Amino acid sequence: MLSDHKLALFLAQKSIIKGNKGTLGLTIFIMSLVFVNSVFVSSLFLGLTNTINDQIINTVYGTVVIEPKKDEKFIDDVYSLKQKISRVPGVKGVSAQYIMGSVMSYKDKNGAWSVYSINPDDEVTVTTTHNFIIDGEYLSKLDENDILLGKEIAGGYGGDDESRSLGGVKTGDSIDVLFNNGVKRTYRVKGIFGVNFQRSDNIAYISQKEMTSVTGMEDKASQILIRTEDVGNEGQFIKQFLELGINEKIKPWQDYASMVKEITQSFDIISMLISGIGLFVAGVTIFIIIYMNTISKRRQIGISRAVGIKESVIINSYFIQALFIVMSGIIVGLLIVFYIVAPWFIAHPLDFPMGPVSLLILPENVFINAISLVIAASAAGLIPSMMAVRETIIESMWGD
Amino acid sequence: MINIAKEDHIANEYPDGTGKQALLRIRNLCRTYIMGEVRVPALQNVSFDIGREDPEFVAIMGKSGSGKSTLLHQLGLLDTPTSGEIIIGGENVLKMSEAQKARFRLERFGYVFQEYALLPELTALENVYLPAMALGRKKKECFKAAREVLGQVGLGERLDHRPREMSGGEQQRVAIARALINKPDILFADEPAANLDSVSSKQVLELFRKLNREMGLTILMVTHEPEDRNYVDRVIWLKDGELEQHMEMLK
Ligand SMILES: Nc1ncnc2c1ncn2[C@@H]1O[C@H](COP(=O)(O)OP(=O)(O)OP(=O)(O)O)[C@@H](O)[C@H]1O
Ligand SMILES: [Mg+2]
Repeated sequence: MLSDHKLALFLAQKSIIKGNKGTLGLTIFIMSLVFVNSVFVSSLFLGLTNTINDQIINTVYGTVVIEPKKDEKFIDDVYSLKQKISRVPGVKGVSAQYIMGSVMSYKDKNGAWSVYSINPDDEVTVTTTHNFIIDGEYLSKLDENDILLGKEIAGGYGGDDESRSLGGVKTGDSIDVLFNNGVKRTYRVKGIFGVNFQRSDNIAYISQKEMTSVTGMEDKASQILIRTEDVGNEGQFIKQFLELGINEKIKPWQDYASMVKEITQSFDIISMLISGIGLFVAGVTIFIIIYMNTISKRRQIGISRAVGIKESVIINSYFIQALFIVMSGIIVGLLIVFYIVAPWFIAHPLDFPMGPVSLLILPENVFINAISLVIAASAAGLIPSMMAVRETIIESMWGD
Repeated sequence: MINIAKEDHIANEYPDGTGKQALLRIRNLCRTYIMGEVRVPALQNVSFDIGREDPEFVAIMGKSGSGKSTLLHQLGLLDTPTSGEIIIGGENVLKMSEAQKARFRLERFGYVFQEYALLPELTALENVYLPAMALGRKKKECFKAAREVLGQVGLGERLDHRPREMSGGEQQRVAIARALINKPDILFADEPAANLDSVSSKQVLELFRKLNREMGLTILMVTHEPEDRNYVDRVIWLKDGELEQHMEMLK
């Protein structure tokens, strides 16, 4: 058996070395393009969903969210709850938010937006919005007359929907805010942020102190955001929170990412379709190359069989050639992906409404793409070589 | 002439009482090519024995289209007869599977064709050691054996040249060396000298005779050159697919 493989390898090696280098190079190149293409598409989609997930975690929800008990509007005893949660090992930040609807107006423009109250010292431990101030400053704990606006509210900073904005509010300007409870205030705009995620850039922040004066209520929150170490082990933390006797609703960030789930499913379908077409092209290419090869070597195949070389050895030698082509294509493809495509996209991320998107190249994804290509190409190489030994020796040697 | 018609379907007996068994025995061999509606009976009821005594050097002769190549292909297990028996060394070879036949060809037969039939991608040396390699012999051994047989056929150099860089005579000697490397029992040759000039042609025939005499190799050679009869022990004549004259003992 081993000697059969050696012999097949020997024949394949001779055929590759003595064969047409141009054709070989071109075929390997086609394989590498197919590979790069499917890795690129799936990595881009992974990058896209990854960006959305990051934005949801970093700018809106953190990793775990506590919501009011069923049939209640607020979380009570926020201070002690926060204390409990922060003592759990692995919790990096806790931020309570009180959210109220409002109508904001500036000059002749107005619109409805939610106002979030935060303790800025807490908030920075959970979200990263403070890193995306594009004008002015972030809030501080003692601010009373100040408001922080998302760029979609302010307008004039290249938001996705300028027409719905206040039409160009700058730091230092005053805007009127009519809260849903009827309280009306005038705030000075302390700063404007833009995280490039439409959902987040439509939020306005005021301090907790200020909100207390608006609502007249203390120690209450609409939600508590928690930032845990590493993303992906929210379940364990939720278990620990439940064990602490927290009766409020506890949800992982994924529960707020249903949009991402749908997008991911569509992306999976699209990328499977594109990869599928690529695999088909690769298969057909290999088929044609090996087929042409067996046709032009028909007589040689006959001679080899006449001399006593087993059919399986001959089939195997073509199979090895197909394998060699596809493996080389993958190696070239890997070089292209890791030395050209990936560095370029990391340096030049694409601008999407959900933020900057780069490629997310996962080893397992690359591996799956490589394996599918190997399977498609070797199956396609096997068919013509099996066809080649189906005719009789006499036909192969002297047939027309 | 021996009347072999009475010896139908006998495989492992010694019907003539000599206690000797023929190396190659064929009985009522028929091969009919079917081309659409047309049936071409290329071989009809051919029976004979070869190598009952000493290893023989046999020529198969006859007019073009008389069935010489067809006969050789049946005996060499390159084709399957329509009916009849082929018994080689006591074994009914037609009962074998394709894989077994391939093994049999590899171990016990050597082939030399009119058109050299070398693999163009391999060097002379590689062409020769390929069948040895296919037997699973060690690389070193294959090389050694290849050099040895190439020496026997008078080719000691230019061994790393590819076939197209060699003359017809040289190529044919490479092909003969390839046929010899696994020490076959029978060598089949279909007009091995037809494409060669008279000098090379003579070299090949003399080599065959030497291999037959000195190495004890049984050789079946198709030829249409009347003077080739000077080299062989006997001639099997074919006419329209039938044995015309069973034996022509020449020596
Ligand atoms: N593959 C085939 N299909 C159909 N008919 C064939 C085939 N091979 C040979 N024949 C026919 O069988 C007969 C015998 O052919 P064969 O090749 O054995 O003759 P030959 O004696 O070797 O002739 P030559 O001296 O020209 O080589 C011829 O009539 C030939 O046309
Ligand atoms: Mg012929």
